Amino acid sequence: MAKRRMMRGSIALAEGAITAGCRYYFGYPITPQNEISEHLSSRLPEVGGVFLQAESEIASINMMLGAAAAGARAMTSSSGPGISLMQEGLSYMAGSELPGLVVNITRLGPGLGGIAACQGDYWQATRGGGHGDYRLIVLAPNSVQEMHDLAIRALHLADQYRNPAMILADAILGQMMEPVNLEPPLVEIPPKPWALTGARGRKAQLIKSLYLADGEMEKHNWKMYAKYQRLQEAEVMVEEDLEEQMDLLLVSFGSCSRMVNSAVALARSRGYRVGHIRPITLFPFPSREIREASRRVGKVLTVEMNTGQMWEDVRLAVHPGTLCRLLARPGGAIPAPKEIFEEIEKFVRAGDHFAENIC
Amino acid sequence: MATSIREMSKKPEILTGGHRLCAGCGASIAVRQVLMGAPDGVHLVVANPTGCLEVSTTIYPYTSWNCSYIHCAFENAASTMSGVEAAFKSLQRQGKIKEDFRFVVFGGDGGTYDIGFQALSGALERGHRMVYVCYNNEAYMNTGIQRSGATVLGTWTTTSPYGENSFGKTQNRKDMTAIAAAHNIPYVAQASISHWRDLVRKAEKAFAVDGPSFINVLSPCHRGWRYPMEQTVEVAKLAVQTCIWPLYEVEDGKWHITVKVRDKKPVEEYLKTQGRFAHLLKEKKYAEALPLIQEYVDQEWEKLRFLSGEQE
Repeated sequence: MAKRRMMRGSIALAEGAITAGCRYYFGYPITPQNEISEHLSSRLPEVGGVFLQAESEIASINMMLGAAAAGARAMTSSSGPGISLMQEGLSYMAGSELPGLVVNITRLGPGLGGIAACQGDYWQATRGGGHGDYRLIVLAPNSVQEMHDLAIRALHLADQYRNPAMILADAILGQMMEPVNLEPPLVEIPPKPWALTGARGRKAQLIKSLYLADGEMEKHNWKMYAKYQRLQEAEVMVEEDLEEQMDLLLVSFGSCSRMVNSAVALARSRGYRVGHIRPITLFPFPSREIREASRRVGKVLTVEMNTGQMWEDVRLAVHPGTLCRLLARPGGAIPAPKEIFEEIEKFVRAGDHFAENIC
Repeated sequence: MATSIREMSKKPEILTGGHRLCAGCGASIAVRQVLMGAPDGVHLVVANPTGCLEVSTTIYPYTSWNCSYIHCAFENAASTMSGVEAAFKSLQRQGKIKEDFRFVVFGGDGGTYDIGFQALSGALERGHRMVYVCYNNEAYMNTGIQRSGATVLGTWTTTSPYGENSFGKTQNRKDMTAIAAAHNIPYVAQASISHWRDLVRKAEKAFAVDGPSFINVLSPCHRGWRYPMEQTVEVAKLAVQTCIWPLYEVEDGKWHITVKVRDKKPVEEYLKTQGRFAHLLKEKKYAEALPLIQEYVDQEWEKLRFLSGEQE
């Protein structure tokens, strides 16, 4: 039976991971995600799991790599600078096709980074982040319920595709409290015949990311590419709030999409016909959905809490000739619904010259 | 040497008032005492990895630092200062800088024992002339009291909770001062904010040597240790008197206890002053940690006495 409880985003995420059968957490303190570690430090031992605080993020990601290689469902969480330190390990995991969940409760801006909400890690998350030709599976919740549900989803996708997955959220989602429906315990973890479990009774196997024989590395990279194509075909998650006839389409993700939802409601109450597409998976990106909707509307406004990172993916996705415009707040400020509404109003009324970019 | 209060009161304050550290914070006391040991007339460059001290003293657009100051990431204060010191030496060789400089790092125990360990070890091995000070409050306080490599066995922190299967942190801390000494650098010391004369003398020696020096200063944190804020100095003093934090120095490889403890108090005297150990004394099932802490203290104290040539 589903239980409904008032919960903080970080705690809901941690509980989601436990529900998904994740029993191994490796982490290192950094604000604003410490609630995840603190909660799991007492919860995991209760369910027979392991909580381990590492001496750095480099250590925690490589502990996760070790656990994943042994066949465990494992996770880590961090924020901005800590996620940057993890990139080498993430690249190794992707190259070795090892699953795992990384949670990034982002920080604001490059360098030390403030702890206000921001979406500046979009490129790092969706382009792989570390060295080499790889992708992360990236899910972007916009509610406490989704912090819980997408943690479960991300762990499943990671195992299914043998690839690290990331939850990209921010301090708003990590700290705020909302009612959550807790799913009853779920599905079993898929078998992992590739895992290193001791070679007793079977042939020894090898997990590695480096292939030296002529042409082998290229073959390996094409194999991973094919996997990312399969993800693109089968695993796109998107929330579409479209109308029959539209003057304007908005695209936004994560916490920012909540303000866009309010702006859309405001615009509709004033008689504007606007639609909203919210990518839930940032990789794979819902390019097809955005192309189809933009064909019908012609004008697309992207709203982001960065200088326009997802905007690049939107412009790659839209139907040729679409007018594209960006409302960006990269400084830790949250775009108010009224500010978004004014931009909607201007863009709908204006001629083509108002668009910053025509694709 | 300026170790009378009268002389010390004449020294300019480098860490000035108006910062946002908590009332009763040990960190600012540690910094001010260390900087009392800086020679007169030198320029100071302070490096600070991310932590309470950094966030509370450099709130933009203000600074509490009356000297050059560089903030760096959590894991690399010793590397950043290595670069500063190497650049200084080069400019000095080229005759472009005539003034005298000293380089000081203030890292917390997280930034020293854990994530900054590799950078520190490299800097000590390469021999950069810097005074590396660990202001040690035995946990990650800035992020909300998580256990660190400096946390004492049995301690409650938010990531070493006590419960059915655990009495708090289950491991002993590492001996970071001895690890620094193992780099065979000219000067290493362990100090406490409660023994200001001892600490200022150690700082003077650290500033004087031509090479790296390391001082590990016990700097109690009343938020994380859970005691009334006015007791910071008393708590630190008890750490010395119970020998859970003995004061000593290692000068050119010679170990020397600087504050003798004739009647070593039971460690419980120290533990009972702080909420982070309260569960050990309140609940029977956690009491098994108590002899483990005392044994650890005794063993380390005897080791120190042996190294200092004070054991019969």
